[in-house]
Amino acid sequence: MKKAAFLLTAFFALAIAGSAQGIAVGATMENFSLPMAGKGTMTSLNEQKGKNGAVVMFLSAQCPVVKGYIERINAVADDYKAKGITFIGINSNATESAEWVASDAAQNFRFPMLIDKGNKLADKLGATVTPEAYYINAKNALLYHGAIDNDRSGENITDTYLRTAFDQTLAGQKVTNTRKNAFGCSIKKATVQ
Amino acid sequence: MFISSSFYRKTALCAVFAFVMMPTVFAQKAKPAASAALKVAGPQVTQIDIEGLKKLLKPNGKPLLINFWATWCDPCREEFPDLVKLNGEYKGRVDFITVSLDDLDDIATLVPKFLREVKAEMPAYLLKTPDESAAITLVAKDWSGNLPLTVLYNAAGEPAYTRPGKFQYETLKDEVEKVVMQPSKATAKR
Repeated sequence: MKKAAFLLTAFFALAIAGSAQGIAVGATMENFSLPMAGKGTMTSLNEQKGKNGAVVMFLSAQCPVVKGYIERINAVADDYKAKGITFIGINSNATESAEWVASDAAQNFRFPMLIDKGNKLADKLGATVTPEAYYINAKNALLYHGAIDNDRSGENITDTYLRTAFDQTLAGQKVTNTRKNAFGCSIKKATVQ
Repeated sequence: MFISSSFYRKTALCAVFAFVMMPTVFAQKAKPAASAALKVAGPQVTQIDIEGLKKLLKPNGKPLLINFWATWCDPCREEFPDLVKLNGEYKGRVDFITVSLDDLDDIATLVPKFLREVKAEMPAYLLKTPDESAAITLVAKDWSGNLPLTVLYNAAGEPAYTRPGKFQYETLKDEVEKVVMQPSKATAKR
């Protein structure tokens, strides 16, 4: 009986730990549906995904780091759209109104922006920072998670993590760097933790 | 009055020379004046790389509180006065260190300006590394790089409390108090 209780406790502890860490590289990202900023209509990951996959990118309308990346994000999104990889922006910041997000998205991004009210998707995937990218293949398997490149300023980029992950996958190779972090803004979550 | 043609030529040459050189002279004069105006008096901010960060994290027999922040980060600026307050309360018992992730260009301007405004006296550093990912993992394996981050180490160098995002003053004070009350361990693990 004691053994069963212990195993049950251990199982729940592991389940909690797993959920706190979000999705791991190699795991399958479940389909999700969220409203599109500025339109209000719902759309899903599977509807937006390209034939070679998609990038789910957590963004913000106010984060200075995101602002510094706008041109680079749009450039990489444009370059790989033709190669079957689409971009889906996600805004999970409780401090940014739907109107603000819609106007920022219309002004700055050339791909759809979805509103993650209550940061449920961010919590599910373990997203905490903006910008933060999750690159999945056509079967929704996570291939790369993290930063866009290794230089916020854009002046001394020596490693384009996301582009490299795309190029390796499109060439039929394994992604060598599957997880890279960079400093950015905290996602301002609705729930105080 | 007779003025020779060579005088005209010399005058014209001088005028052309002065016209060509004017921007250079002005630029040379303007540059130091502009940078002097931008530089602010304030706490010394020391540039470090990942090796410097490793040295900072080495235990020295005293608890350490390290805060990662940037002037562009709203919650970082908001929590900073509480950090200054805690530093004042635990001075001598806990080492407080701040590490800025601002651009290197801001090391003598925006960063010390803000530190002066909030009356920060703790040692201040600015981290510049081509591999931020390695620095982030060095500090905390589960950290994605979101600012601010506060990590409290006990005297043995073990992380006692890690807070990504804005900290709550009372919670952090309780954690610092716990670490201060802990008997120091002989083995250092940081």
